[in-house]
Amino acid sequence: MKMKNRKKIIKWIVFISALIIVLVELFPIWIIISSGFKRDLDIRNSNPFDFQFNLRSYELVFQKSDFVPSIGNSLIIGLSSTIISLIFGSMASYGIARFRFKGRKGLSYSFLVSRMVPQIALSVPIFILFDRLSLTDTHIALILAYTSFNLPYIIWLLLPFFSSVSPSFEEAALVDGCNKRQVFWKIFLPLTAPGLVVAAIFGFIMAWNEYIYALILTGNATKTAPIAVNGFMGQYAPKWGQLAASGTIILIPIIIFTLTLQKYIIKGLTAGGVKG
Amino acid sequence: MSNSTTIKRLPLRKKRGPFLYFILPAALIVGVVLVFPIIYGFGLSFFNWPQVNDGTRAFINVKNYMELFKDNEFWHSLFLQLGFIFIAIPIELIIGFFVAILFNHDFPLSGFLRNLLLLPVFILPILSGLTWKLMLQPRYGAITYLLSLFGMEFPQGILSDQSLAYTAVIIQDIWRMWPFMFMILYAGITSLPKDIMEAAEIDGAGFLKKTFSITLPMLRGTITTAILLRTIDALRIFSEVFVMTGGGPGNGTMLFSLYIHKQAFEFGKLGYASAMAVILIVISLFFAFGLVRKNMDIDTM
Repeated sequence: MKMKNRKKIIKWIVFISALIIVLVELFPIWIIISSGFKRDLDIRNSNPFDFQFNLRSYELVFQKSDFVPSIGNSLIIGLSSTIISLIFGSMASYGIARFRFKGRKGLSYSFLVSRMVPQIALSVPIFILFDRLSLTDTHIALILAYTSFNLPYIIWLLLPFFSSVSPSFEEAALVDGCNKRQVFWKIFLPLTAPGLVVAAIFGFIMAWNEYIYALILTGNATKTAPIAVNGFMGQYAPKWGQLAASGTIILIPIIIFTLTLQKYIIKGLTAGGVKG
Repeated sequence: MSNSTTIKRLPLRKKRGPFLYFILPAALIVGVVLVFPIIYGFGLSFFNWPQVNDGTRAFINVKNYMELFKDNEFWHSLFLQLGFIFIAIPIELIIGFFVAILFNHDFPLSGFLRNLLLLPVFILPILSGLTWKLMLQPRYGAITYLLSLFGMEFPQGILSDQSLAYTAVIIQDIWRMWPFMFMILYAGITSLPKDIMEAAEIDGAGFLKKTFSITLPMLRGTITTAILLRTIDALRIFSEVFVMTGGGPGNGTMLFSLYIHKQAFEFGKLGYASAMAVILIVISLFFAFGLVRKNMDIDTM
């Protein structure tokens, strides 16, 4: 009986400690969300824990800023680069998983290793490359730049999914007269749909969160959401309320994905090395 | 293809044609947007290459590198970036490890709480930087306010002091990334065989003994992987610090990555910046190869 009580007490102590850790950890996120519901004026002139609910910052963000078009840009760029990476990444991953060819290891490792090169180290040549092609401040430039880290990432994320599918389905299809390309598109890919969804979501998040390439490659026409959010810092006085409101909005997809993708997160974080 | 060959075991692994169809598009794209820029940057590092062509663009051999080694700011920025690795990562590891042990117990809502801990890992780096900047503002910042309750006043603001600002960007990183360590270590701990722990308990091993003589040694591989992943990641840190402090005050938080950006896009010294980029790439590849050699086998993943 005593033993049982002791176990119960430990359980509650652990629960309460875990709860405190989570609350402390989420404090900055609460700050950003709550500040979005304050006016700039109130943020500057009151105790940070005073809370008067106010939608003024959201109104300003939606009516008077370049934030809404920037969300559009981010969606176009993020989705396009994710789709391109997904198509060519799944093909390459399949090639590596199913074919044995000379240079197979070398090629796959160079995909992996080149992805770990810091973006800032590539910023100069990437800038010159797109500047020469007169592509700066176009969607194409950022879509390609984002594909440069999403594609290798997706190849590596998909490999374990693909290797775990038994080749017997494909063999059966080959016997039925499909060629190898048809086998891949019609038989294999549908079988691996869950892996593709995970890859798409991780790819999209990395593009959504990206800042360095957006900083050097975009101008007014293609400003992405992170650039617009940072724009609320302004030249002289930061508009904290609007910054927090827009920051909260761009956080929504992240919150949804994080809370639903739990099962796959370890794989996603360690595949291809690093998160974006 | 004739029927007789298709019936053999693993007919997918024959001819040359099909694998090129699958691999070539990805290889081409990666070649153009990743490999080519790396090579181009390497070449550029041997040139004097002002962004605006003022007639001084020229091949100058290794002069950029020679100058770099005499540039105190270069060494300082490298030191600050590596500081992230040596200060932030061990702290993240320790917090992550003990929280993973805590979460290895059975308690209500544990799955949900674990989920919530991941939010900071995926938050936009710039949003993290800006949030911390807001919290550290003089007077109205939440952290400044909380510190003032304990009698610690920073009338000029925490971010206007060099060493405090560097501490702040590191704490920002620890906040964001210890849950990453936690997730990897938690996955490692839960996959350890239970019977060893039970045997140790029956033998009367206490918490400390169990932790340091059983759990920790068995997690060695996981911990090395986690450290390598985070090290590669720490070499990529840029955005959050760029928006949080812009490298300042003075050069107090001018990390290597920020210094590259400054030389390239503020001073327009593209050749000089490229030489620094080459050094950053070499350091990153060193750790990347370590990671790959250690535990990334394409056929066992």
